Amino acid sequence: MSQEPTEFEKRTRALLEESSGRLDGRTLSRLTQARHAALDRQQKSARAPWWRWSVPAGAAAAVLAVVIWVGHPPAVEAPASLANLKSVDDFELLTDADAPDFVDEGEDVEFYEWASGEMES
Amino acid sequence: MAERRVTTGMTAFVTLAGVYNMPVLAGERSREQDLMTSRALEQFLASVEKRAFKIAQLGLRNDEDALDAVQDAMMKLVQSYASRGSDEWRPLFYRILANRIHDLQRRRTVRGRVMAWLPIREAEDDEEFDPIAQAPSPEASPMRRLELDEAIGALEAALQDLPPRQQQAFLLRNLEGLDVSETASAMGCSEGSVKTHYFRALESLRARLGEVI
Repeated sequence: MSQEPTEFEKRTRALLEESSGRLDGRTLSRLTQARHAALDRQQKSARAPWWRWSVPAGAAAAVLAVVIWVGHPPAVEAPASLANLKSVDDFELLTDADAPDFVDEGEDVEFYEWASGEMES
Repeated sequence: MAERRVTTGMTAFVTLAGVYNMPVLAGERSREQDLMTSRALEQFLASVEKRAFKIAQLGLRNDEDALDAVQDAMMKLVQSYASRGSDEWRPLFYRILANRIHDLQRRRTVRGRVMAWLPIREAEDDEEFDPIAQAPSPEASPMRRLELDEAIGALEAALQDLPPRQQQAFLLRNLEGLDVSETASAMGCSEGSVKTHYFRALESLRARLGEVI
């Protein structure tokens, strides 16, 4: 205190000190337990600093990975049948509306094989 | 081969450092600092706990609530402010304690309003008899003790009747011995307010107890 305390202030302080010093055994024990519990928590948190930082860091990394994955999904691979097309002609053949009919007919397949052989010979 | 040589060298260094009590690794230094902080905190808490309890008890008029408030303040200080300079701990601790007392007072007011509407009252304190709790402290003569009991009883009753801010300012300055600046920091107000609260508290107590104590 900046000013010299008066007699009244000194007296009240002495009485309050006396009262604080008269705490019963149970209260003193509870206060000691509270102090030890607080210090125990402090020591535990000091002993395992990695735990304090690794969980938020891991969560942040996971969120970042999800954001990157959603923002830039991997390119979809072309189906093997389309990737194996050797020429534009093959592509046109497949997309031609008439072609399936030609194949589905089935009954003239042997004729076309014979005609193809004849042309080559 | 090179890896083995490095490992051997490190082992030799650690062994020699151990002989000369040298801190070897950053982790070891950190552990030493933690230990020092822990010891300093223990000394600080042990030095304030009784007066802190008395302040909480006068503010809350209930021993269990007062113990809870002190324990919460200890926990909060250790968890959140252990890394601060030890000269900051006292006003911080009393700031936390004052907030906790205020919270408990408010909660009790709300609970009181709710309970007033209910027909069933709270059960009486049915704690078992504790011989240690009931054991008297070693004291002076019975006459002296009686005088002290009366004076303390009158002072505490007068303190309990003060408005909370006056009571807080008086206890922090008079009992805990904080200066005006530290009290202002603990109460979260200006130094001028602290002086006003303290002066009014002192006047009230003097008017009521002048001849008693």
